[in-house]
Formats: sequence, structure tokens, C-alpha cells
Amino acid sequence: MWNSAIYPDIADGMSNQRDSDIQKKIDHEIRMRDGACKLLAACSQRDQALEASKSLLTCNTRIMAYMSELQRMKEAQVMQRVARRSSDAGPMDDRHPCKAKVAISDLRIPLMWKDTEYFKNKGELHRCAVFCLLQLGGQSFDTDMVMVDRTLTDICFENTIVFEEVSPGFELRVELYSSSWEDGGSAGSTPRKLASKLSSSLGRSAGKRMRAAMEPGGNSPTSHGGGTTLLLPVPSVPGPKYHLLAHTTLTLTHVQDSFRTHDLSITANEECSFWLPLYGSVCCRLAAQPHCMTQQMMSGQLRVKLGGDPQGWTDIYGVLKGTKLFCYHKQDDKEASVDPAVTIGINKETRIRAAEKDPHSKAQSICISNQYGGEEVTHTLSTDSREDTQRWMEAFWQQFYDMSQWKQCCDDLMKIDLPSPRKPALISPKQGSLYHEMVIDTSDDISTVTDILTRRMHDSDLRSRLEQATPTPVWLSLFEEDCSPPTTPIPSHYQKPPVPRPCSSPRSPARASPRCGGRLSSLASLTSESDSPCSTSPCSRHGWTPEPPAAPPSFRPRTLSLDAKLSSLRVRGYSAGLQCACQTPAAVTSGSPHRAPALAGLSCSSTSSTSSSSSEGSGGPDSDLPFSRPGAAGRSARNLRSKLDPRNWLQSQV
Amino acid sequence: MSQTFHIPGQPITAYVQRIEIKKLREGSNLILGFSIGGGIDQDPGQNPFSEDKTDKGIYVTRVTPGGPAEDAGLIMGDKIMQVNGWDMTMVTHDQARKKLTKKSEDVVRLLVTRKSLEDAVRKSM
Repeated sequence: MWNSAIYPDIADGMSNQRDSDIQKKIDHEIRMRDGACKLLAACSQRDQALEASKSLLTCNTRIMAYMSELQRMKEAQVMQRVARRSSDAGPMDDRHPCKAKVAISDLRIPLMWKDTEYFKNKGELHRCAVFCLLQLGGQSFDTDMVMVDRTLTDICFENTIVFEEVSPGFELRVELYSSSWEDGGSAGSTPRKLASKLSSSLGRSAGKRMRAAMEPGGNSPTSHGGGTTLLLPVPSVPGPKYHLLAHTTLTLTHVQDSFRTHDLSITANEECSFWLPLYGSVCCRLAAQPHCMTQQMMSGQLRVKLGGDPQGWTDIYGVLKGTKLFCYHKQDDKEASVDPAVTIGINKETRIRAAEKDPHSKAQSICISNQYGGEEVTHTLSTDSREDTQRWMEAFWQQFYDMSQWKQCCDDLMKIDLPSPRKPALISPKQGSLYHEMVIDTSDDISTVTDILTRRMHDSDLRSRLEQATPTPVWLSLFEEDCSPPTTPIPSHYQKPPVPRPCSSPRSPARASPRCGGRLSSLASLTSESDSPCSTSPCSRHGWTPEPPAAPPSFRPRTLSLDAKLSSLRVRGYSAGLQCACQTPAAVTSGSPHRAPALAGLSCSSTSSTSSSSSEGSGGPDSDLPFSRPGAAGRSARNLRSKLDPRNWLQSQV
Repeated sequence: MSQTFHIPGQPITAYVQRIEIKKLREGSNLILGFSIGGGIDQDPGQNPFSEDKTDKGIYVTRVTPGGPAEDAGLIMGDKIMQVNGWDMTMVTHDQARKKLTKKSEDVVRLLVTRKSLEDAVRKSM
């Protein structure tokens, strides 16, 4: 710790260095701000203007933050000089806690639309552009801009914002800014053509005046020594303006390794154009990684008493990091990632004291006691010299102090994920209303996911098959055998308009039988099913042994697009899990034909064309099955799997 | 769940385990390697894993062997309470699926509960 009373010149030099750092940052931000202003004046697209306006606001905030920091530093310098003159020895430098990296992510602000607003589809969609500004110490960051309208239930910001070198008494200010989409610059609600004409004409005559106002030449902070002249935000810049909608401040008490909800203070009212009905809270994940948990705080050669041998000292290389003291046999072991010989926990419960002077050695020993379960375990360390012992004790004290300052952050290391660098953000497709969305995204296609997983399982399965003849997942047989699912009957079925013919009703009386269980009843139900006109899922007689989740899709009437997808699925013979947005009215479709193993091959209803063959097949299914049935354990697993019939209970693969 | 049945409207308390799953990237797909069942729009009586047959929560019905979910310690039969802070006890099946398959997220942090966890905690108390 530098004591400025002893080293006055160097302290001044350091602060001058800090000054110029901040100066450079301010200059950089001013340049950014100029760029944003120019962009605002030049652009015609509304979303470009919004982005530029957001950058402008962020730059202004940063400039103000740096200016105030500069001012504070200068004041501190003056105070120090005054203190030096008055008294010789300043107060002993207090122990300072270590700094930390603080990250905030997954910001989510719920909205509270009135039902009437949420469900109405007519009328104009009132949209707002929102973003969050996060400030901690002198650092400010903004999130990406999100367009919000009444179809959204929450405002989600996907960014992860990391602040470096944060002290425990930090205050993270979260501000939500909003700008109404219709609010297009100084022209108000003028049509776009007119607005662009105005902005371009401003550029020539009145723009010169504005540019003069923007020029930093006259107002440079360097010309004013104390930085008392704050650069006010540039007045009357054309373009959309953001207004503060809500804010909150988060501190160390809000840090946790999970998602928490915090209250928001709303600073606008319903009359404003940029108003959004906020629920009043914000949910986020605020994590902190103090340096004492991530960095090596102290390391050196030590001797530790291992085992019960009172005289046995072992030379080790100790590394104090986080809540542990790692004792490696050699210094190289740490780099080589060899496990340490001993790991001693250093946490809030640990007690460390310097032991009595050992008569055999010159240096003092350090005793570290921990409670493991109900027992107390003590490790004794020793160093070569008093100075070393002192340094280690100092390191331990500092560690305890850090832990007391950072509290819950030192229980366990909190993870901070830096988002993987992705391609520059694609404009997200306009979000549909949550209640109206029934689309299956092509990229969520069940077949692609199935592809990946079956390939992996197939690979691992082939390997296991080489080792032993384990019963394979049933549906894999589809990929080996040359089973040709009857392609012709299926599409024709589904080309029919999906009139909700009472497919259910002729079946329900038939359904009554499977419920009582037993093979015979299922047989009866199957034969009756085959008579029904709108029976569905065809199955290949041989290989299709649909153990859930491999059961065939259900046979309820559906929309045409889904039908097409499902038929293509079946043509390809995939059967792992089903993903659909439709309801599964279990009461209607359930007829789960009782899963007697012998009839597993025919648990799906058959088409009328193959009805006769199916009833034949039911007679001797065992011979058709391509694998042997395991014993009792397999049977219970089969029971479970039979209960997981997707026709009864929808399952989705993720 | 500390009772075998839940009274609607009353808060649910449960012993939960945190499970963090890193999605596996295969081409342009991010997969987790498990299947879910349940939801407020599904029939809870068909759920073979739930103790309370009126429980409409989201349950893990299958864990792909060797997949990211298995590595993270997810077990078949777990009930998912939260996904990245989003509640899963009162959502439709599709809403649950969507929260798990967000393309912008590489990691999902789940809070799950299971009967064996309850029992283990009770025994140790």
C-alpha cells in the first residue's frame, strides 16, 4: 500500500497517470458521440435512428461519469495535499478488500397488459423501442435494443454485461429507457418523407449552427482545469429520443448464483407516449467473482505435518486460492495439473492461529483448524523464516477479510458465462402472440433432432453390440431391416381433408375393451379398429415395434400442414418422440391398447387394407420380433415405457 | 413436494437440485439430450413419474445416454421447476419446450426436484 505521506512525488505521478487515462476515455467518448450525432442527422430509417440515439445516450452517460470521476480524483488530490501539510503520519492504511468481476445477465422485465389489449388483433400496434443502461462505478454499458409491443409478455435482454474491478460496496444502477416508435424526432408525427426532407435540409443551413454547438473545441474539459464545465447533452438533435421509464439499484445483497426478482421504480406515467405497462419487477442473474476466489492470492514453500507422526514434516508448495489451500508436492505439479497432496479448506468457519514456538525450529508454526462433520481437523504448517510466516498469516487475514466483505460470493465460485461470439445479430422475426402461435419452426423439426440422436445412439449401439448382445432399442431395427413402410396408403389418407369425422366415436366403444386388459380383448379391439374408416397410422408389419417413445403418432384429425409433416416423418420411418403444438386430448385418443408384449407390434391401428394381415400377425407376433425379450427387469422397464405412450401423454425431445 | 398432493393456490415448496446443462452443438442445432412430458394443457393422470396424479408439472421422461443432460446429472423422472429463471410449474407443454430450446442460449440452468432428493434430505435432518 502506498502511503502518500512517505512518497509524495510518486503518488502525484500516479494520479497524473490516472488523470490522463480518464482524459483519453473522455476524448474517445466525445468522438463516439460526434459520430452518433452525425449518424442521427444522416439516417432516414427509423431503427437506425433509434440505434444511433441509443449510442448517443450511452456516450453522454459515459462522459458524465468520467467527468465526475475526474472531479472526484482532483478533489481527493487536494485533500491529500492538505492532509500532508497538516499532519505527518496519516492514518494507517486500512485493509482493502479485493476487487471482483460482476456480471449481470438474462435481464427480464415482465409486462402487464390489460387482457383487452393483449388479445385484440385489430388496431394499431403501439410499439416502443427499449434498452437497458447499466452503470457501475465509472463504467456504463447498454444492452441491445428490443422492440416491444402488446404481443410480448416480457422484455428480455439477452446480453451478459461484465464489470471489472468492482469493490464490494458497489451500486449497479439499472435504467430502462424507452422510446415510442411513432415518436420520430423533432418533427413529431410527420410522415417519413417529410421528416427526411427536413433532416436533409437542416444539414445545410441550420445544421451548421448545430454542428458548431456540437464541436468540442470550445468546451474541451482540458481547457478548464477542474473539469467543472460539464458537457451537457447536445440540444435539439433530430431523431427519436429515449426517456427513462424505470430504474433500480442492485448491490452486493442482491448477488446470488441464481435468478432473482427485484423491484423496479417506475418513473413515468400512463400519459407518456413511451409508456409501457410494467409489472414492477425485473428478473436477472447477478453474479460476482471476487479475485480472492479466482486468483492465486499467495504461494510459496511450506512444510506441513501429515498424518499422526509428530516429527514428520513434508515439504510442499502451497497455493492459496479461493476457499482452499492447495499443497502440491512440487511447484511444477500445479502447472502439470497433478492433484495436490493435501487440500486444506479455508472458509468462514476456519480458525487459524500462530502456534507456540516450536523448540526444534526457529520459525513459528501456523495451525489451521476446520470442522468436518462433528470433528475438528487441524493442520500444522511451518515455514523457513519468520518473515515467511508473517507473510502467510497476512495472506490468511486478507483472505478472511475479503470473505467477510464479499459474503455470499465466497461460498462457491459463481460462474460467469461470456456469450459465445455469434454472427452479428439477425433481425429476429416478428414475434407472434404467445397465444396465437402454433407454428413448428423448421429448424426445430423433429426429424433433425432425431437424426442427430439416432446417429449417436446407433454408433454407440453398434459398439455395444460388438461387445455383447444387449437388447437394442427396438426402433433401431428400422434402420437395419429393409422394411418398406407402405407409402402409398398413407399419403392418400392424409390427402383427405381433415374433416373431424368422428374418428373417436366409433372407436370409443371399441376402446372399452382394451381397458380391461388382456390379450384377447386387445385383439378384439384391433379387429374392430380395422373396420373403422378413418383409421390411421400404418405400420410396417415387420420392424415396427413401437415401444414408446417410439410409438406412432396419434390419429386425431389435424391441420393439413401438420399432417404433411407427420406423413413425411412416417415415410422416413422415424419414431423417436413426437413434437407437435396441438393438444393431446387424452380422453379421446387414449385407447392405449394394452401393451401386452406379444401385441406390441400391432399397438397402432391398422389401415383397412392391411386389416386382415394385421389380425394374422397378431396370432404369431413373437416370431416377427427381431429381438429377444429380456427378463423381469426388462419387463418393468417395458411397463414404464408403455406408460410413456405419446398418444396418451405428449412428450417432446429437447 | 413435501405432500403427496398439492392444494391449488398454495405455494409449492420443494428441495431442489441445480443442474447446468451445456447444449451440444450439432451443425446448426443445439440439443440437450432429454425428453419432457407434462404441462397444464396435458393430462396429468398419464404421468408415470409423478406422485400426485394431479401434478401438471414438466417431467423428464427420457435421458439420452451419453447426452449433455446425462452428463449434467439429469435423471429420468425429475420434475423441472425452473429453466433459466423461468417457472415450469404452470406452463403449457409447448411453452416449456420453447424455454429449453432457445437458440440464443448455450447453457440452461435447471432447478429440478426428485423423490430421492426429498428422502435424502429428510433422512439427514
